[in-house]
Amino acid sequence: MPGYWFGDVEAGSCTPFSGDARDIAGRIRTIRTSMDSFVPLNWELAVSCGFCHDRAEYLKKLREVCFFAAERDVREQYAGKDTELLHMVRTLDEMDTVINLLSERVMEWYQIRQPTFSRKYRRTPSHLMVRKIREKSRGALGNVAGQIESLSIARTDLAKEVSSRANRVLPNTSALIGGLVAARLMAQAGGLSQLSRLPASAIQVLGAKTALFAHIRTHTPSPKHGIIFQHRRVHNAPRTIRGRVSRVLAGKLAIAARLDQYRGVADLGFLERAQAKIDAAGMEEKP
Amino acid sequence: MRWIGEVLVSPGEGGVYNERMLGGARVWDPFRSKLSALYHAGTGIELVKDMRVLYLGAANGTTVSHVADYTESVYAVEFAPRPMQDLLEVARRRENIVPIMADATRPEQYAPLVEAVDLLYQDVAQPDQAAIAIRNSVFLKKGGHLILMLKTRSVDVRKEPAEVFRDTLDLLSAAGLTVQESVWLEPYHHDHAAIVCRKP
Repeated sequence: MPGYWFGDVEAGSCTPFSGDARDIAGRIRTIRTSMDSFVPLNWELAVSCGFCHDRAEYLKKLREVCFFAAERDVREQYAGKDTELLHMVRTLDEMDTVINLLSERVMEWYQIRQPTFSRKYRRTPSHLMVRKIREKSRGALGNVAGQIESLSIARTDLAKEVSSRANRVLPNTSALIGGLVAARLMAQAGGLSQLSRLPASAIQVLGAKTALFAHIRTHTPSPKHGIIFQHRRVHNAPRTIRGRVSRVLAGKLAIAARLDQYRGVADLGFLERAQAKIDAAGMEEKP
Repeated sequence: MRWIGEVLVSPGEGGVYNERMLGGARVWDPFRSKLSALYHAGTGIELVKDMRVLYLGAANGTTVSHVADYTESVYAVEFAPRPMQDLLEVARRRENIVPIMADATRPEQYAPLVEAVDLLYQDVAQPDQAAIAIRNSVFLKKGGHLILMLKTRSVDVRKEPAEVFRDTLDLLSAAGLTVQESVWLEPYHHDHAAIVCRKP
């Protein structure tokens, strides 16, 4: 017999639910409705049931229940530890872009002020250049350079936080390729549950979208790696075996992501075996 | 429904999304809202004071707020948490909106909450839009209306919009709904069609 939010109706008689909005919101989840021969509820039933007196009270109570349920569900959706990490990674990447853009701009500006200045034959990394500009320039230029420096500090702190958060949220994936790259993979996939559903071949080229679609459309050589190129075992490997290394690594990452999603703790036995396999793939000769 | 000259407005408290006000009423922009575009096309179901509406794909509550200005109550179903936060804020200020966080493809999730309605309005970006509408038409009273905002590009980007449109009309008729009107929402919304059906 049909169960509605305010009570159960059976053979013409109705038993109202008691309890507050929280209890009712909890109980709605347990109601199983069959959609064949379904009859939508009639609000007057709630009055005859003794649940409420009139339409206004009916809507008021229903809204209380629905607000409670919706707020609870939104909170539950965000409670997945990966949602915040996703925003942290994206913020990090955007900060990198902004810092680079501003640094370049400030250097161009500085060159105008110092006509004798050139970066040729200097090996000054850009963050040291920015510091120099801050020290030597007055007014807005020095000010902006100072802001770039504090942005860089904030960026370094954020990177540390991303990496330690990733070690907690993605213990297995992080153990294989490091927290930062693991977090980037997760962000590119759109979340941990999405990453855990990807096949290894997709993880291998995650972040190489342009190259992948160029390959599919115009048959250029297929990309060998995407984000996982950032891991030292891929970019340090000799060119000829990079494809092999990234393929094996991606295979193990796919398993690691599933462990992270469904178990959530590091599996030391798996990690040891996976590391051995990846190392073997990195040997010059086929093992 | 209220028109001031060529401008469609709805009565109600303004400031929901920084909409323009005109003569104390809220301007309902056809470029932002597909339902407004339908009324600007000269058709659609007149919203009246005693109407109960089931609104699938409520999103941020922009169009929902206008529908609520005209009708008795609106059951607003939305699945994604981020727009739901906005919808809840809108619903807090409009006492005839019942916000429901659920998946429109699974009406059994919210069946215990929703009463029989006069109008079913659907605007969801899903491939099986016709099936969703048909599954939800159980909530419609006899003689009630369905307004389906067909996003042809969400059904299949490779197919011609006109083909998707024809297929959808066939599916709706096969399910026993009477198609009353169907219009494209050009120039307000591209590749979007509105289909108005009646439940016999």
